[in-house]
Amino acid sequence: MRTTIKLGTATLGSALLLTLGAGMAQAATSADGNTMAKLRPVALNGVDASGTAMVTVTGNRIDVTMAASGLLADSPHAAHIHFGAEARNECPTASDDKDGNGTLNTTEGGPAYGPIVVSLTKSGDTSPKSALAIDRFDTAPGGKISYERGSINVSSDVAAAISAGKSAVVVHGVDHNDNGKYDGETKSELDPKLPTEATDPAICGVLASAPSGGVQTGGGGTADNNQALGLALGGGLLLAAMGTGAFATRKVTNRI
Amino acid sequence: MSLSTKFGDRRGALAAVVTVVLLVLGGGILARAATAPGPPPQPDSSQASAAAPTPATSDPAPAESTAPTAAPEAVVPASDFGTLMAPSAPVALRIPSIKVSTKGLVDLNLDDKGELEAPRDAQRAGWYVGGPTPGEFGPAVIAAHVDSSRIPAVFYNLGRLKKGAKAIVDRKDGTTATFVVDRVARYPKAKFPTAEVYGDTAGRAELRLITCGGEIDPRTGHYADNVVAYAHLVG
Repeated sequence: MRTTIKLGTATLGSALLLTLGAGMAQAATSADGNTMAKLRPVALNGVDASGTAMVTVTGNRIDVTMAASGLLADSPHAAHIHFGAEARNECPTASDDKDGNGTLNTTEGGPAYGPIVVSLTKSGDTSPKSALAIDRFDTAPGGKISYERGSINVSSDVAAAISAGKSAVVVHGVDHNDNGKYDGETKSELDPKLPTEATDPAICGVLASAPSGGVQTGGGGTADNNQALGLALGGGLLLAAMGTGAFATRKVTNRI
Repeated sequence: MSLSTKFGDRRGALAAVVTVVLLVLGGGILARAATAPGPPPQPDSSQASAAAPTPATSDPAPAESTAPTAAPEAVVPASDFGTLMAPSAPVALRIPSIKVSTKGLVDLNLDDKGELEAPRDAQRAGWYVGGPTPGEFGPAVIAAHVDSSRIPAVFYNLGRLKKGAKAIVDRKDGTTATFVVDRVARYPKAKFPTAEVYGDTAGRAELRLITCGGEIDPRTGHYADNVVAYAHLVG
């Protein structure tokens, strides 16, 4: 009797501990996550480029890896993570062309992806202050970006937004007139010293959360128990056949 | 007398018919059970980790060997990601070593719980559309059933896949992405390593092949584990 009670208490205790432990683990990792963006051409801007960005969130730290190709070669490509609580949390569409000039500039994309929260510079500051630090962004040799930067610190809100799949990666720089460089009469709405080609969004992708957990990819038809059942059922029917067979044979024998 | 004989004859005939039916039925079920492929093969633990002296396959070695410059070049911040392909959706998957050849991949999305859905048709593989296309940077995901409620399905033999084996993906644009298997592992679904399977692949184009494994959980009627094969692009 006493043993039973002791055992019960012990079980209850460990169950409590387990629950507590699970709760704590969850609290510590609530903002952690793996996210990925498929970078695709921004509507209207006609850039035949693509890529992938992967952002790993660990507490207030993010690690970023990004590959892209098809961009204007050997020219700086500002790249950022955008997020806005008021934004649509997506990449802009043709309907975002508010001035109706047939292309999308960075500001026109704002309602879709929100303001800049991280500048994906190669060195130094990564805050929104470095949004146009064109000397510190990847210059896409051969049109390709191979970008890796770890341990970027972000606010808890930004970390949570990225983990929740609400942020977007945007790579800027569009050679609208296909002459191999950033130029043109139209100046950037962000910095009048730059042509709009240097800052217009080229490729964009929402950083989506990775699937959670595993996949239900089995019907169980070939698992052990089914095979055993088949053997038993088949064998049983054969045994029954032996019985009725014997009966039929006896009848036939009787007649003769 | 004659009545009883008739009766006896009828009973004998009936018994004979029943016998034949039982023989056919029983024999059929028995034959199917006996020739049934049995439970799906599970990955050997030796396949669960990448080979220690990772051969040239796991590293974009060509990029390094073509550079005639001396090794201490670590100052260069630009990373070379090796072979990557432009995006193009997969249309077929071939894994010759385990006799997988499947066409007409279906699109897989996430369900309401954020989990990856499985193909509705057990005889079709599916590609996770939220991830990169096979050949792009990142982990492209192809999932397929190990069996249906009756017979083996597309990835029945995935647990038998070995390191170094090739997985070939035909893509919509006519190009082919060839991957080499790095490892094959089995995880309880409750402890599925999301970061390992779906996380950053450090610049490589990789492929994940996912199916079910382990024992059937009697409470859910589903397999308790997932089998995951990790592969990387070689060309």
